[in-house]
Amino acid sequence: MNTKIKAKAKAGSQIKVITGNAAAAIGAKLARPDVVAAYPITPQTEIIEQISKFHADGEMDCELITVEGENSAMNAVMAASLAGGRVFTATSSWGLVFMYDAVLATAGARAPVVMVNVNRETPGIIAVSSGQQDMISTRDAGWIFLIAENCQEIIDLVIQAYRLAEDYDIQVPVMVHYDGFYLSYLSEVVDVPVQEDVDKFLAVLKDQPERTKLIPGGKLGCGSHGILDGYLELRYKHVSAMERSKAKFEQTDKEFQEIFGRGYGGLIEEYRMDDADVVLVGSGSMCGTIKTVIDKKRDAGVKVGLLKIRMYRPFPSEVMVKALKGKKAIGVVDRSLCFGFKGGPIYTELKAFETQLDGSKMISFIDGIANTDITIANVEQMIDATCDLAEGKDVREVTWVSYPEAQEPDSEKMGGR
Amino acid sequence: MTGKKKGKLTKVLDYLKHDDPFSKGVAFCPGCSLELLIRFIPQVLGNDIVITGTPSCSAPVLLGQNNQSWHSLSYFGTLMTGAAANATGLARYYRKAGIDNTVICFNGDGTAADIGFGNLAGAAERNEPFIYICYDNEGYMNTGIQKSATTPFGASTTTTPFGSASKGKNLRRMNLALKMAMHKIPYTATATMSDLGDLAKKLLKAKEAKERGFAFLHVFAPCPTGWGYAPENTIEVCRRAVKTNYFPLWEAENGKIRMTKTVKKPKPVSTYTELIKKFAHLNEADLQILQDDVDYEYCMLGGLSVLEAECQLPVSTED
Repeated sequence: MNTKIKAKAKAGSQIKVITGNAAAAIGAKLARPDVVAAYPITPQTEIIEQISKFHADGEMDCELITVEGENSAMNAVMAASLAGGRVFTATSSWGLVFMYDAVLATAGARAPVVMVNVNRETPGIIAVSSGQQDMISTRDAGWIFLIAENCQEIIDLVIQAYRLAEDYDIQVPVMVHYDGFYLSYLSEVVDVPVQEDVDKFLAVLKDQPERTKLIPGGKLGCGSHGILDGYLELRYKHVSAMERSKAKFEQTDKEFQEIFGRGYGGLIEEYRMDDADVVLVGSGSMCGTIKTVIDKKRDAGVKVGLLKIRMYRPFPSEVMVKALKGKKAIGVVDRSLCFGFKGGPIYTELKAFETQLDGSKMISFIDGIANTDITIANVEQMIDATCDLAEGKDVREVTWVSYPEAQEPDSEKMGGR
Repeated sequence: MTGKKKGKLTKVLDYLKHDDPFSKGVAFCPGCSLELLIRFIPQVLGNDIVITGTPSCSAPVLLGQNNQSWHSLSYFGTLMTGAAANATGLARYYRKAGIDNTVICFNGDGTAADIGFGNLAGAAERNEPFIYICYDNEGYMNTGIQKSATTPFGASTTTTPFGSASKGKNLRRMNLALKMAMHKIPYTATATMSDLGDLAKKLLKAKEAKERGFAFLHVFAPCPTGWGYAPENTIEVCRRAVKTNYFPLWEAENGKIRMTKTVKKPKPVSTYTELIKKFAHLNEADLQILQDDVDYEYCMLGGLSVLEAECQLPVSTED
């Protein structure tokens, strides 16, 4: 959450106190989409309500499709995007899962769809509560995933997402994630960009070659059978485009800063990392709390920093390795589970790069599941444990921070039976 | 090429104003009614249509492979789950961008009546501006002849096989076209390949109607491979389906039902089923169940058309 509010308005922009959902809706409006598909689901609903109101009031000139389910939402925007339109939709959790086949097809078709996913726990246990399990469940879909920390970053990322998705060299759909409940309904001060600035920022796309469009009489097919080498070619190109999107996002962030006066550091944000001995790795709204605790710990002489993941897919391994290399100990905070692995998903992924970290030790923290607050005390506990790890003490590899009863899942101890 | 016969043929051929965009030899089974239909549509409506299709019998030809195609139409290979939503996205964007368009959402009964029925109903409710055509071969013929919602009572399929404890599908079929007409969309119609003039007229009406919203065509499309009849009998199967009222031909404008072909003396449904192996195991009593269902559906159709007309009376009318 936005712990350090810099209410310094750029000339012409408006300072407003709005929810994360309102920020997403206004971000979408400022991008001037041609087609929006709307279907309600908690905690996303406010986004499509606001867009519907903009549309009803004549402030938004788009085709608004009030679909009968999320599966249709994704299918409609995918098709409209392939036809040449700029599109937007938003969902959460069960909705994201219900549109999963279309989420995969959209990526496979390289349709430059932009969607907001307001993170919530997924089906399995009916949990109307925050958690990144929905994001994790779709991480291999072939989309670019961005994660916002606060309401300001939500509006900025929605706008930036179009520069990534529709870039001629990328053409990959983008999902902007933020924590449901914590950010969706939280009102914060937001510097709402001016329309002319957003137009200017997105105008770069118009100077690029026109992407392939499915138009009547155009003799073009989308969604052919791709098999054997045809399939391999498309998949290889897709993977390559994902890799290219890393540098593109860095560059886009810089251009955004030039126009709007706000930059975020690109794929990751490094907070008090320069001289840090121990580091927490986190994403989303938890980072506000973590920063607050880091400031407090720094005052007490603890050299601790935060690596905040902003781009989660493609996984920003290069910049993460560069930032984490040589640190004594790293604690990775996951707001989701990685079934079949003991540690959290981001921890497990980062483990793949452990050999490049010059001996940094790593532990996993699972917290914030199903609205269990990641409190100041919880973060202090995580930092203390990571410091213990740095000092060579015996520290448990995986800790369920808000569930002290949890043994590390272990067949011998029969934890969690 | 002289005499009466020529004059009669010309009536249908008159509708074929555009080129056949398909390759001369394509990967459909011999006697496939779907091939006739898919070649017929662009010849009547033009080659500037955008056609969408799903994994299905139409897919091997409609969707092409890698960068190769059997035809020169603009097409979009969609998911079965969201076919109508895909067509919605296309049609809505074209409207927003001011691009003239005829989007044809072309699907089998598996998509239309089973897995994609929800979004078909959604598109009808929202009165989306495109044409949805369901070619009904009464099951998943491409996947290997499995039962769908439109598979009729008694039909043996690979998931409702005839056996010592089974008479085939022991459920009645869904009346998809009637369901769609009940949405009161601008245009609903049934058609089949034995009545091409009727089909052509309905295609043109659908094209005109989609300027006002959703148009739905339910085309009876028998399958020699899946149903078990000789490929040369496809048209005869269509003809007998109409003559027995197994598949009556009608249309509905804004929900107002009208028969486009009335069969004076309908033949018993057995004259239709006798051509087809999937019904071969049915005895007289079984066939009577099917006959009763056909009679019921036809009676309902007539009753609804009368009722609909009554409901259209102005409120002020005294009775």
